[in-house]
Amino acid sequence: MSEALLASETPGVGATAVPAPASGARQFWRRLRTQRAALAAAAVVALLVLVALAAPLFTALEGQDPTSYHPALVDSARGGVPVGPFGGISSEHWLGVEPQTGRDLFARLVYGARVSLGVALAATVLQVAIGVTVGLAGGLGGRWLDQTLSRATDVMVALPLMVLALALLAVVPGGFPRPVLVALVIGFVGWGGVAKVVRAKTISLKSLDHVAAARLSGWGGVRIARRELLPALAAPVITYAALLVPTNITVEAALSFLGVGVKPPTASWGQMLTSADVWYQAAPQYLLLPAAALFVTVLALTVLGDGVRTALDPRAASRLRVGTLRTRKADTLRTRKPDTLRTRKPDTLRTRKDGS
Amino acid sequence: MRRLRRPTSAISSRTAMSRRTAAASAALVVLAAGAAACAGPEDNKNKAGGDGKPQKGGTLTVLNSDPQSDFDPARLYTSGGGNVPSLVFRTLTTRNREDGADGAKVVPDLAESLGKPSEDATVWTYTLKKGLKFEDGTPVTTKDIKYGIERSFAAELSGGAPFLRDWLIGGDKYQGPYKDKKGLDSVETPDDRTIVFRLNKPVGDFDYVATQTSFAPVPKAKDKGTKYEEHPVSTGPYKVVKNTGDGERLQLERNPHWSADTDAERKAYPDRIDVRSGLNSSVINQRLSASQGADAAAVTTDTNLGPAELAKVSGDKKLAAQVGTGHFGYTNYLAFNPKVKPFDDPKVRQAIAYAVDRTSVVNAAGGSSLAEPATTFLPNQKSFGYTEFDHFPAGASGNPEKAKELLRAAGHKDGLTITLTHSNAKNFETSPEIATALQDALKKAGITVRLQGLEDNDYEDKVHDAKDEPGLFLAHWGADWPSGGPFLAPIFDGRQIVKDGYNFNSSFLDDKAVNQEIDEINKLTDHTAAAVRWGALDKKIGAKALTVPLFHPVYKRLYGKDVKNVVISDWTGVLDVSQASVK
Repeated sequence: MSEALLASETPGVGATAVPAPASGARQFWRRLRTQRAALAAAAVVALLVLVALAAPLFTALEGQDPTSYHPALVDSARGGVPVGPFGGISSEHWLGVEPQTGRDLFARLVYGARVSLGVALAATVLQVAIGVTVGLAGGLGGRWLDQTLSRATDVMVALPLMVLALALLAVVPGGFPRPVLVALVIGFVGWGGVAKVVRAKTISLKSLDHVAAARLSGWGGVRIARRELLPALAAPVITYAALLVPTNITVEAALSFLGVGVKPPTASWGQMLTSADVWYQAAPQYLLLPAAALFVTVLALTVLGDGVRTALDPRAASRLRVGTLRTRKADTLRTRKPDTLRTRKPDTLRTRKDGS
Repeated sequence: MRRLRRPTSAISSRTAMSRRTAAASAALVVLAAGAAACAGPEDNKNKAGGDGKPQKGGTLTVLNSDPQSDFDPARLYTSGGGNVPSLVFRTLTTRNREDGADGAKVVPDLAESLGKPSEDATVWTYTLKKGLKFEDGTPVTTKDIKYGIERSFAAELSGGAPFLRDWLIGGDKYQGPYKDKKGLDSVETPDDRTIVFRLNKPVGDFDYVATQTSFAPVPKAKDKGTKYEEHPVSTGPYKVVKNTGDGERLQLERNPHWSADTDAERKAYPDRIDVRSGLNSSVINQRLSASQGADAAAVTTDTNLGPAELAKVSGDKKLAAQVGTGHFGYTNYLAFNPKVKPFDDPKVRQAIAYAVDRTSVVNAAGGSSLAEPATTFLPNQKSFGYTEFDHFPAGASGNPEKAKELLRAAGHKDGLTITLTHSNAKNFETSPEIATALQDALKKAGITVRLQGLEDNDYEDKVHDAKDEPGLFLAHWGADWPSGGPFLAPIFDGRQIVKDGYNFNSSFLDDKAVNQEIDEINKLTDHTAAAVRWGALDKKIGAKALTVPLFHPVYKRLYGKDVKNVVISDWTGVLDVSQASVK
């Protein structure tokens, strides 16, 4: 993204013309650093990723696994409500056990993080890849191609994601690995927003001198896209992607909640919510745990995404008064030369957010 | 998205009913309502929060999830005449409205006494009571009963039980009274009070069958074909005043021409019955536990308490007193298809039977208050001929060592990977909860279970398709009447294998000795003697390890705080509307 920021500001032909290309990244981190909420969110996200990656390690530490039944830990005569206070919390079961099965809730929650984060990240990568490709092709292509792709994008944006995903997930045979499938479906259904942003930005970039110059010197579409457009597109796309991740987590949870997401015995937060919803009175922690995990994750990712947006947005960055001392000069310098493009960015961002 | 605990009776009925007609959906719905009746004398059972003797008067509200669709005696498919339907339609025989095991007996209703069998139980004769009247005051004759039975053969009035079509002589060819004015010769009415049925095979259980609504009289002059369901002519204590939205709301009022003198079974305390449906099961349970306004005098005939609701209710003494407990003849089991490897090897099937952990399965089904572990295919009730046995004792939580030993003997030294097919219905019977509990138990015996979860319709089609039947799947079976016959014959009679169509003999057992014994028992008209032999047959078939019985469900249902005289028979397992009082 360092190149992204600078390249778009440089009326030259290539990113190579930019002085001190590394400063963009440093600037980004500097701006992000000043936002405490974003930093806290980043820490939470890092922790969640760590937990997801090291799930077996954490459960080994607890001495449990997510699928073993413990019939002795539930009161069979009372519908299988966990024995003991607070849903059966003990030194062996840190967050208690699941009603009816006695499966360890901590282990299921930790393994559920893998599904939630993994599916959401994979889906986001897919959405960005498809969205950028379609947006660039539309923005650079002829009228016919642009019209076709734009209408296709409109359709994707207009179609309710959940309904489409439900239909797709229901028809695929059960043998297909479920988390991969869910990621694919969310990815292939939810790229419309990215494509719209990229196309709009591409069209406005196309008329800029450096792109025109590249075209005049006979570069092909792919090369122009790669060398002249992609660097400038990085900032909005990264911002958009950062906000897509929490949305995708919610979608995965909703799909699992509706019973078409990952299948048992794989744990997922959405699925835990489904089986827990009837237990809210008899075993409240069963419902609260996955709900809280989802809430914290989505909140952290959203705050982080917002921080990233702010850090990538020069107008907002100037308001942050980044580097009032030593670094002030560099910053004011950069923020003082916004061009038409820059000032337009916050708007596009806002509309994108509404549209998503 | 919410976890519906479907009335198990509804499902059971479905299973039983869909026997020959894959499109039994209409039937199920009815059943839901239907399977819910039973009865008893009002004497000592004011189990509800009430005090004092039950009194006449008031309005009883029924809060249900499934509507009373196609409220026509020819189209209803019920066990024992149904719960709500039985308020309007009287039949030749009916359920004994008593608590528990006594309620699993069949007693005369329109008939003076139970049927008189002759010629090896292939001919059944009934005599009507005197003074029976329709709701308009015209007397009931056996011609009306014959006409009602003939109607149930009409293609336009689909949905009813298939038994008469299979058993009455000429029943397979008869097209119903609209196309075939001559009528069905195998139902004879020598006079207005006598009716004779001629069957193509011995049916010792015919008295049980005569409880079904197709045995209700229908006056030919009042028959409006498919529109008859809007206002069927009542013989019971209530008549239909208003039927809204094809049974979504059914309002019943007293039938002045019904007399308690001719009806020993129905108590009919309330003046009005208001049946409302289309409600979510958690809403029904919430309303019954709150018992506010009209809901204090409300019951449900199709909604059980789920495990979470039970956990909440059992912690509240007042609410716990408003819960009725019942048993319906029903078994949930693992079914093998011995045509699919490795289930062709009895040792593998036995190993699985040993490895099953019934404690965790029962917990997954809702815990020990909602399910009882099963080792027999027959339900654990005397009327079915329940004979205790456990051929492959797995103990409370499975015997993985014995299972491993059998697997080694079968040549699977390094364990085994198998697929278990289940449905994604949220019924706590064939649903993922049960499947994952089994998966965990079999893992301990070195058996890796892959789960194949199918949408409910998909699942029903696949497991009943003889050509496509999976090797191992979760199955359930409920009886049309409380006897061993409708339990064992459809599942294990080799002549009932359906090659193209809905097949219930999932193990494809075609054993001459078994078939012959089924025929022999069907000749018995003494239900007690028959029960003993059904039990022995169950034990004999059980040794073949063609199924692994898992659990029998227990019904827990809430009723409003003002409801008295709660009677729950073992025939239906649910509160009998005809016995409840609200005053």
